[in-house]
Amino acid sequence: MILTDYKAANLFDELVDVAGKIRPYYRNIADKLSSLGNEELSQKLRSLELLFLKQGITFTVYGDEKGTERVFPFDPFPRVVPAGEWEHIEAGLVQRITALNLFLYDVYHEQRILKDGIIPPEVVFGASHYRPEFVGVSVPKDAYIHVCGTDLIRDRDGRYLVLEDNGRCPSGVSYVLENRAAMKRVFPQLFGASGVRPVDTYPADLLATLRHVAPRENPNPNVVLLTPGVHNSAYFEHSFLARQMSIEIVEGRDLIALDGFVYMRTTRGLRQVDVIYRRIDDDFLDPQVFRKDSCLGVPGLVDAVRRGNVALANAIGTGVADDKVTYAYVPDMIRYYLCQEPILDQVPTYLAWRDADKKYILENLPKLVVKAANESGGYGMLIGPAATAAQIEEFRQKVSHHPRNYIAQPVVNFSQHPTLVDGGLEGRHVDLRPFVLWGDTVKVLPGGLTRVALTRGSLVVNSSQGGGSKDTWVLAA
Amino acid sequence: MMLSRVADHQYWMARQMERAENLARLVRVSEEMLLDDESLGRGTAQEYWTPVLAATAMEGAFRSLYPEPKLGDVASFLTLDLRNPDSILSCIRLARENARSVRDKISDEMWSEINALNLFVTSPEGLELLERFPQAYYEKIIASSMLFDGITDSTLTRDEGWNFLQLGRLLERADMTSRFLDIRSQTQTADGDSALESLQWGAVLRACSAHAGYRRVHGGEISVEGVVDLLLFSNEFPRSVRHCIRRADAVLHDISGTPTGRYSNSCEKITGALLARLSFAGPPEVMARGLHAYIDELQVQLNAAGQAVFENYVLLPGEVDRHFPRGTRPESLSDWQREQQQQ
Repeated sequence: MILTDYKAANLFDELVDVAGKIRPYYRNIADKLSSLGNEELSQKLRSLELLFLKQGITFTVYGDEKGTERVFPFDPFPRVVPAGEWEHIEAGLVQRITALNLFLYDVYHEQRILKDGIIPPEVVFGASHYRPEFVGVSVPKDAYIHVCGTDLIRDRDGRYLVLEDNGRCPSGVSYVLENRAAMKRVFPQLFGASGVRPVDTYPADLLATLRHVAPRENPNPNVVLLTPGVHNSAYFEHSFLARQMSIEIVEGRDLIALDGFVYMRTTRGLRQVDVIYRRIDDDFLDPQVFRKDSCLGVPGLVDAVRRGNVALANAIGTGVADDKVTYAYVPDMIRYYLCQEPILDQVPTYLAWRDADKKYILENLPKLVVKAANESGGYGMLIGPAATAAQIEEFRQKVSHHPRNYIAQPVVNFSQHPTLVDGGLEGRHVDLRPFVLWGDTVKVLPGGLTRVALTRGSLVVNSSQGGGSKDTWVLAA
Repeated sequence: MMLSRVADHQYWMARQMERAENLARLVRVSEEMLLDDESLGRGTAQEYWTPVLAATAMEGAFRSLYPEPKLGDVASFLTLDLRNPDSILSCIRLARENARSVRDKISDEMWSEINALNLFVTSPEGLELLERFPQAYYEKIIASSMLFDGITDSTLTRDEGWNFLQLGRLLERADMTSRFLDIRSQTQTADGDSALESLQWGAVLRACSAHAGYRRVHGGEISVEGVVDLLLFSNEFPRSVRHCIRRADAVLHDISGTPTGRYSNSCEKITGALLARLSFAGPPEVMARGLHAYIDELQVQLNAAGQAVFENYVLLPGEVDRHFPRGTRPESLSDWQREQQQQ
């Protein structure tokens, strides 16, 4: 593969510095990739895609009439994160999940942070994922977010910025593991003495995290993964994780709540369930409490949770912490609960219901990214510079009429990474989603999902919107 | 002990795969026979396919989808038509869907094979093969199913899940073998064209991979009685109804832990009675009763066995009335599953 033609654009490039020189920690992999012929590379890529397809490593695209399964596009040029940078990221993520869990405990108990005027009460009470029903309810080990996927981007100067926290049902970790396995299989020669930290301890760490919150310190809890079912976009990941952890993957219809306990239906009758790693939103968990029409949940589940007979990971109501409006207050939370300055910076955020901010947003729509406060997957989003006049008008109406539902941020022209496009290398925007586990100790998986926007110039990396992924190499030293 | 839903998926994964294989066997042999018939100017394609559709209980569905059938319509209806819930493609899709639901319970190799078959049947190469060498296309499906069976045999832990998987395969195989016999029971010529008859019974044997097995026991002469004896009553031939039921009965006893010869639930009672019936009868009883009538009764029992498995192991007591038949899973459930945002 020819690296000499590769050009850095006018933004931070992961591979080369402003002078066009390859960064020292990329030299090893760059040399090895250069020694591969283009022909060999394309052939390996094709065999990789076939492998993914044959193994059914796919996700489901919605909006497509019947939900076609697609292979998640994979780019073979790994992203490299040197040890020093990772140390910084890791410390920042640990600090952040600590603050978020303290915040959630506080919001569902004394609400000191509101009373002390750090966060306006309407931010919390107006968040669509706030669950007033759970005020005063304790959860095992006071743990709310057990699994967090935090999205990071890098600005023009290479600074890592937090783009958002995903504290409800973060997904993508299975691709981190599968991408690494695929790289080892197809490009074993690239690893050599590169000093790449392994990622395959994740399933064991996740299981330990889940067992940690078992009710009444049960030493041998029955842990299950609750999936919406095979038609869900992330079903591959659900079954992958269940298999790796050797736990049962269950659907709502497999569970039954009786007298405050939850059981699964087996060929030998009922068996009690202690911990549920749920990949279903709060709204669908229990038709007796939340959405009445949900047929994915388990009637009586929430009652069992309240009584402390079954634990949920993540806990109910964590959505108030990863709300895009709450996001604006996370640095204040860190200062308030931890008396520390935030280690990781984040993107400036304008909140549409503050009159001054709203005015600014409406006047600068073509320059801003506007997001619905409670959507994910890149849906319900306006990217000002790339939008048509009609789309801008549509969001002008939306923001004017429902200011609580929208926030805006300046367009961060985030970093690019060389990516194989039509046999050559071109820069494409990338983000990074590391995964954090909150158990007995806090563990950050050394790696993460590097998502890449495959369309030239695009800033949207979501798989549902034409994104792909790369293996992420965190170096040991 | 395993999740009831998982037992159900394992059972149906194997059962749909076996059904796809047998349909491929059926279409392959039928098309081959049709060539002979056409070249001899015997009957029309239409007349030829009618008993095939009748024996597989798909005649009504075919007539409503193809009010004015053309040449080749039956083969496409049986092969790639997704509107037909029992076409080869529908069965493979369902088998794969069931496998996906138990992806964490089966071996990687099993999953790869079923996934590869699912990709093959509608791939450009697959469709080209179907167009140019239909025999090879159907043979590939048959081979893939048998490979899946072999992979299962050599990679899957012998636990309860294995038992449910075997049960699905065995009950389906017994059912389909009896249907193959039924096709010819409907075309038996009154005037007794014996050359034609032995040709047709030979085709049934070929469809069941039973030619060699037949010759070993009955020699080269093909007779109705001989074929019935092998495919219904043989204790040794692995596709015979009796052989399948004997194994299914053993599997059921393995699941419940009840000694063979006794029963602890309704499915064991049904397979036990069926096994006794097949063990103490032979071609004379069948001929006296009439082949078609005999097979009809057999199929009622086979259906009852499948239903009893479902009621005993998948449903909780008291839920029997709430069950909806397979294949009519409410669409709304999949919409709900899709709706779940994953961040």
